[in-house]
Amino acid sequence: MLSTDKLFTYRPQYLNIAILLAFCLLISIPVSAQKKFTVSGNVKDAATGEILIGATITLNKTSTSSNNYGFYSLTAPEGNYILTVTYVGYAPAVYTVALTENKVVDVALNPKAELQQVVINAHTRNNDNVASPQMGVEKLDMSQINNVPVLLGERDILKTLSLLPGVKAASEGNTGFYVRGGASDQNLILLDEATVYNASHLFGFFSTFNSDAIKDVSLYKGGMPAQYGGRLSSVLDIKMDEGNNQNYVVQGGIGLISSRIKVEGPIVKDKGSFMISARRTYLDLFLRASSDSTVKGSQLYFYDINAKANYHFDDKNVLYLSGYFGKDVLGLKNTFGTNWGNSTGTLRFNHIFNSKLFSNTSLIYSNYNYDIQSYLPGNNFNAVSQITDLDFKEDLQYFISNSHTIKFGVDALHHNLAPGSITADGNSSFNDKTIERRYGLETAAYISDEWHASDKLSLLYGFRLSNMFLFGPGTFSTYDAAGNTVTSNTYNSGQIVKRYFNLEPRFSASYSLTSETSLKASYNRNTQNIHIISNSTSSTPTDLYVMSSNNIKPEIADQFSTGYFRNFNDNMFEFSTEVYYKWLQNQIDYKNGAQLILNQDVESQLVYGTGRAYGIEFFLKKKYGKFNGWLGYTLSRTERKFAAINNGDYYPATQDRTNDISAVGIYQFSKRWSFSSTFVYGTGNPVTYPNGKYEINGLTTFYYSQRNANREPANNRLDLGATLEGKPHKKYHSSWTFGIYNVYDHRNPYAITFRDSKTNPGTTEAVETSLFGRIPSVTWNFKF
Amino acid sequence: MSMKSVKLKYGYIVAAIIVLTIASCQKVIDLKLNNAPAQIVIEANITDQEGPQYVTITKSVPFTATDNFPTVTGAVITLNDGAGRQFHFNEVHPGLYVLYPFHGGVYGRTYTLTVKIGDTTYMAQSTMPTVSVPLDSITDKPNVFGKSSLRTITVNYQDPPNIANQYLFVLFVNSTEVGTIFTNDDSFTNGRYVKEDLFQTDIDIHPGDTASVNMESIDKNIYKYWYTLSQQQTNGPDGGVTPSNPPSNFNNNALGYFSAHTITGKSIIVY
Repeated sequence: MLSTDKLFTYRPQYLNIAILLAFCLLISIPVSAQKKFTVSGNVKDAATGEILIGATITLNKTSTSSNNYGFYSLTAPEGNYILTVTYVGYAPAVYTVALTENKVVDVALNPKAELQQVVINAHTRNNDNVASPQMGVEKLDMSQINNVPVLLGERDILKTLSLLPGVKAASEGNTGFYVRGGASDQNLILLDEATVYNASHLFGFFSTFNSDAIKDVSLYKGGMPAQYGGRLSSVLDIKMDEGNNQNYVVQGGIGLISSRIKVEGPIVKDKGSFMISARRTYLDLFLRASSDSTVKGSQLYFYDINAKANYHFDDKNVLYLSGYFGKDVLGLKNTFGTNWGNSTGTLRFNHIFNSKLFSNTSLIYSNYNYDIQSYLPGNNFNAVSQITDLDFKEDLQYFISNSHTIKFGVDALHHNLAPGSITADGNSSFNDKTIERRYGLETAAYISDEWHASDKLSLLYGFRLSNMFLFGPGTFSTYDAAGNTVTSNTYNSGQIVKRYFNLEPRFSASYSLTSETSLKASYNRNTQNIHIISNSTSSTPTDLYVMSSNNIKPEIADQFSTGYFRNFNDNMFEFSTEVYYKWLQNQIDYKNGAQLILNQDVESQLVYGTGRAYGIEFFLKKKYGKFNGWLGYTLSRTERKFAAINNGDYYPATQDRTNDISAVGIYQFSKRWSFSSTFVYGTGNPVTYPNGKYEINGLTTFYYSQRNANREPANNRLDLGATLEGKPHKKYHSSWTFGIYNVYDHRNPYAITFRDSKTNPGTTEAVETSLFGRIPSVTWNFKF
Repeated sequence: MSMKSVKLKYGYIVAAIIVLTIASCQKVIDLKLNNAPAQIVIEANITDQEGPQYVTITKSVPFTATDNFPTVTGAVITLNDGAGRQFHFNEVHPGLYVLYPFHGGVYGRTYTLTVKIGDTTYMAQSTMPTVSVPLDSITDKPNVFGKSSLRTITVNYQDPPNIANQYLFVLFVNSTEVGTIFTNDDSFTNGRYVKEDLFQTDIDIHPGDTASVNMESIDKNIYKYWYTLSQQQTNGPDGGVTPSNPPSNFNNNALGYFSAHTITGKSIIVY
């Protein structure tokens, strides 16, 4: 009864929003006597044929940017125009266009010669960050990532992202990240549109993204565009390089712990290209040096391979095929072995219906699995778990007019979860055991309109309808608060066990005060139907995924944010400040002493609560010049509330960090030398310290009263890097990258534990473990 | 190695690797800790063995205090066997209460322990398992983790099929109790002949040492108590678990436990 009531109360709301949207769309359809024509095309790099995302295309005074596939479309009344195309790091291209009919202008931009100091015309400098209604977005420039110093010289987009305001690394040296108080499983990480479930190698010390193969990185912290859905707190959209369609290029690097190589070239010149990039670490070589025979025989490495190919059938049809395959292998000789990894595959078809309608169709495969083997005599077993997704997406972009661009599409994502199964031989202590697979389908439809209502006001508004179906076959139980089974029903294959429907409104607006200043505001609702059950601080390969079910409700987040954006000095500096407030519903934690591994009734071990996060972010970036970089500061609070924890009061979540400062500076000293530096400071993590101790069975046992009532000491660290470019050669190019991690050797706390004192028996002590002291690194890079 | 400790073993391996490859460092630090008021701690055991049964009552102390845990005297302790009989404990030392004579707990029976301290009454229930699973043998083998000249003790037993069993193993090396909690249930080993390694780093075991193991069959709540406590002992690079008090079966916020359990034991000379 209750659910029916709810349906009736909600329906009119949905209806209102739909009517409102329809109305907004209607009033915008231009009714004009004057004839209008459209100029459209693709923007690419002239030297490599790589498409350029986010290039600025200006037709007299109206401007737009190229989309994720390099396509643009602009409409104007009949007449003669100047079309200018600009992109950071490239020489601008200028065309005269006589608009007497719809025109196609494909643009190939030439990269500026390295270090050539070009005086950039103020008008060609991009002020998109101010003018666009999109807020809460961070775009990383790959050349900047390559210059930022990192641990062991392994440049890493996820670690660089954590230097931005509102983004916090899970722990030192870790690629897990929290966005505006969200948990690490609330980030949607997409590699060429395929979900990457576990974005970390080696327990998070490295990310799965080999920066050699990456072309573009965008992180959405708020004002989530309607085309994205499925996670609460952020979308990290990563695009791989396409490959050079003009020449064959080989490049690579040899570092302290890993080496990498990338090969790219044309399949058919101007028509198609391929790119393949691989890297492997050799940390296990260090282990060989050990005197301990068990350690000596251990395995410890990871590798990943990125590959992509594309083919342009003609101006209107392009096919892309891309894939990622990565694996971690870790094992102790004759004892224990484990490996885990992601593989993804994306087949995409771009079709330009006409100068105004662009289509992208994707078929996506994603898999994550892990495997644990024990070789101990009498205790051998093999445990496996995996998650497999198949996804079909159709995204359309309709450039109605210069004031309206509509994005709409559908998405059907099928999940197949194998939570775990264990096999063992007859001699083992273990039984064979398999936890039932779970099947789910997430379907979504979205529409959004970017409306330039006036010179000053721009809106980006729309909604996403998301549907979650949990299917049989299998036995599905419900549980009471104590975790006892209340009902248990068996479903046939394809039978719907549970369905959830959510409407997610998305809205953002910007109001330009001047051409370099704007105010923005946004509201968005996001829902999430696939959850990681973990309260561990770093990502472990055995993280357990569950879907929304008859026990687990979809997680819901509502975020309001507002901001002030200002560029100055001809867009050389960008300044922004954003305030956000976020409510979280149906958050998941597990009970104390929960049994999570291979438990058919794992949902009986869960508790549900709410959360809130709020904060203010400041960001100042210098984009151009010999010296560039940024300064970020975040003041924030993140809290959770569970009935069984801290008397049901709000308490600071593990990812709560009051103050967070990061500074990045890159200085081009000479033609050959460049220097870089990063500094970070952050309030320590909330932790639970004992409030007393007692004795159980002769063992000192600690007494805890309040969850996360204490703080670890603050973190701070300075890293330095330097790049020496080799002397120019006709045939090849080489460079050296040097780095010092943690220059002043500040020991940042990784964990604080409590134990009986060995030196002073009869007392207890607190012990701080820190991981990384001062660590130098060197990498040699080549390209020919 | 129990499946539940798989994650824990990751911790060991990664910790080992990190120590080897990167200079991780540990240091003792001074922390300002909040002190909670002293809590009542009750440890009560009823076994299937004939002989004295013990209850100890102490209080918690601040973290910075020395390990002198004040005893609680003058408590009135009653055991109800669920079959109409009541037994009373006598205080033989301050804070140590004994029930004697006692002919051993009865399998399958649920016992209720009532502890009255001043005006507060604490109650807990525990069920003696229906069978006492015998410890078949204990064996030893070279250490798997760490120095291979040291030995690891393995317990071997036949888990009964058809019923859920939970166990606690208490390991003594040369009569000193090892400060590691070994507990397991049969969710992965039901009906199997189980060979479980008691991995620990508390006391080095050398050839020639005497190793003894007491194996207790315990009820589900007590298993949860020991399991939660054992999880807090690890704090590997995977972050460990958020610390919490193990779930006591006593009411009124008393810490500790009341366990009705069976005991079997074996002893060997390590070679």
